[in-house]
Amino acid sequence: MHKLKANNITRIFAFLFLALLVYLLSNHIDEWRSFQGATVMFYVVAIASIILLTGYSGQISLGHGALVAIGSYTAALTQIYLHQPIWMCFVASVLVTALFGAFLGFAAARLSGPYLAGTTLALAVGLPSIANQFRILGGEQGINFDVGWPPKSLGADFTQYKWFFWISALATLIAMWWLHNILRSRYGRAWRAVHKNEVAAELAGIHVGRAKVLAFTLSAGLAGLAGALLAMTMNNVSPSVFPLYLSLSLLTGAVLSGVTTLGGVMIGAVTLVAIPEIATSVSSRWGDSGNLATYLPNLVVSVLLLLTVFLAPRGPIEKFRAHRSTPERISQTKSKAQ
Amino acid sequence: MMKLFNTILIGITSGSIYSLMAIAIVLVWRSTRVINFAQAGLALASSFVGFEVLTRTGSFWIALPVALLAGAGMSAFIEYFFLRPLLKRSGDESQEIFLPIIATLGLLGVIKAILSFIYGDQNGTISPPVSDKDFIVGANSISMSPMRVLILIVVIVLVSSITWLFQKTSIGLALRASSYSPEISRLAGVRVDLIRTCGWAISGAAGSAAGMLQTANGSGSLSPDSLEFSLLLVFGFVAAVIGGLESLLGAVLGGITLGIFISFVLMYVSGSLVFISAFLILLLVLYVRPQGIIGKKVGRRA
Repeated sequence: MHKLKANNITRIFAFLFLALLVYLLSNHIDEWRSFQGATVMFYVVAIASIILLTGYSGQISLGHGALVAIGSYTAALTQIYLHQPIWMCFVASVLVTALFGAFLGFAAARLSGPYLAGTTLALAVGLPSIANQFRILGGEQGINFDVGWPPKSLGADFTQYKWFFWISALATLIAMWWLHNILRSRYGRAWRAVHKNEVAAELAGIHVGRAKVLAFTLSAGLAGLAGALLAMTMNNVSPSVFPLYLSLSLLTGAVLSGVTTLGGVMIGAVTLVAIPEIATSVSSRWGDSGNLATYLPNLVVSVLLLLTVFLAPRGPIEKFRAHRSTPERISQTKSKAQ
Repeated sequence: MMKLFNTILIGITSGSIYSLMAIAIVLVWRSTRVINFAQAGLALASSFVGFEVLTRTGSFWIALPVALLAGAGMSAFIEYFFLRPLLKRSGDESQEIFLPIIATLGLLGVIKAILSFIYGDQNGTISPPVSDKDFIVGANSISMSPMRVLILIVVIVLVSSITWLFQKTSIGLALRASSYSPEISRLAGVRVDLIRTCGWAISGAAGSAAGMLQTANGSGSLSPDSLEFSLLLVFGFVAAVIGGLESLLGAVLGGITLGIFISFVLMYVSGSLVFISAFLILLLVLYVRPQGIIGKKVGRRA
């Protein structure tokens, strides 16, 4: 019990430290880096939502891009038609997407691995094209989501993207804090039990279907938040923002981060943002016409995905931990046995 | 009345292409219990091979078999070098059941990226080998052209030869046996691993036929990012699920059903709702008849 409390305090400090880090960082980087920072935050939330779903509750989704799209459109529509303040748009995104996730979850709870993968894939391909059908969604041009300039009180030289970065970072820290706690609650334990062994979980009194639907709902809520962040950073919401590739790269990010632990979530997010940048600089050094810069990121991301699957299927963090702790654990169990 | 008739005709032609893709997915599923999401990538790559052969020789009739062989070869390659070691190692640990799915997605990405490197923004073209002008009956033109007849013939020939292979030959018996029970087949002297690679190869050939026909039937142009291939992947999967993921006949019926359904949405509702309607019909099938239209009632916990 004492240990748990100590952990809690450490965690509070860890999060405060992260917040401070983001604050200091945001003061020393230019517009482009701030934009990248905001994008990293979007990826962190989106990847965390996949980790919650896949790593903890054992359901796979190839369609999180579609949920992100719902979040983005909700944020923009709330602002345009309901004239709500920005934070209300974020809340609306989370709620509406979570509601949609609950509907989807009822279908998903009945499906196992490959069926669920295919169904969510169909959703990812299908949903964004709806925007062309209804005029309210703005067709190919899409609709705008304008957070507005940073408040005057922050000073005149406080830039637009720095403001986006701050909002994203704050939202991300809150979301991660909440997710971290819920994964340690009875719900988190129930999800892990269901994932490990459904029959055993059922015997232990866990309602398997309910646990799965709840996981899907919360994961969708997070994806909705990510969608609002993306809409804010992009300023615009249109079907082309959510290609199938987005869903797949989110899944890639989750796998790179190590899908079974929340701890590595930054790895995937930073990798996804860094790879295009590195590809651009590499190709400009080789004096390439731009062909390389366009297609190299996809290749690198896919190859990384395959390498992770084959070399460290539970992600780099788990790999590292397993590597370090195996001898200790063995000696511990031995001493206990004696 | 004419519109209704034409809608059904279009549905049958495009549905027969989806059937091929569904067969490809079903064959892989039966042999290794994996959904191969790289199937669309394989179809795309072998269509590009077909395109290269077509530009060099000028004959669709050489390009098609070469593309089929290329598809079979690439599919077998993937099974041998990627899926086999992965499935051998992962066993049945609950953490790792998603790895094959994720691996095939990674392969899809790699295939697409490599094709983008080679072809960049330039598109390949596969023009229809025979006229694609609609037949005229009386005063009306019906939506059936020599090209569409050709597609139907190719699909029927391929499907019946795959069925023949499965039902009448010893390889087919080994394929069915090793998907029914790998352990017992091994005891009976079947080289299950080799047979699985065979299953993947046949599936690759079916998929590349779908790719070639889809390109020739559609816009005729072929690009690494073309929508037609994500369409093929999703529709192939939906068709396979409608058919129950287990039987070849089911895959064919599923493909035709989906084709007609999609064609009705396209003609009577709206073009931009096609994809989402595929999703909806998939959900409907999974709710009402999860074992597929001709499947037996068994648990779906794979």
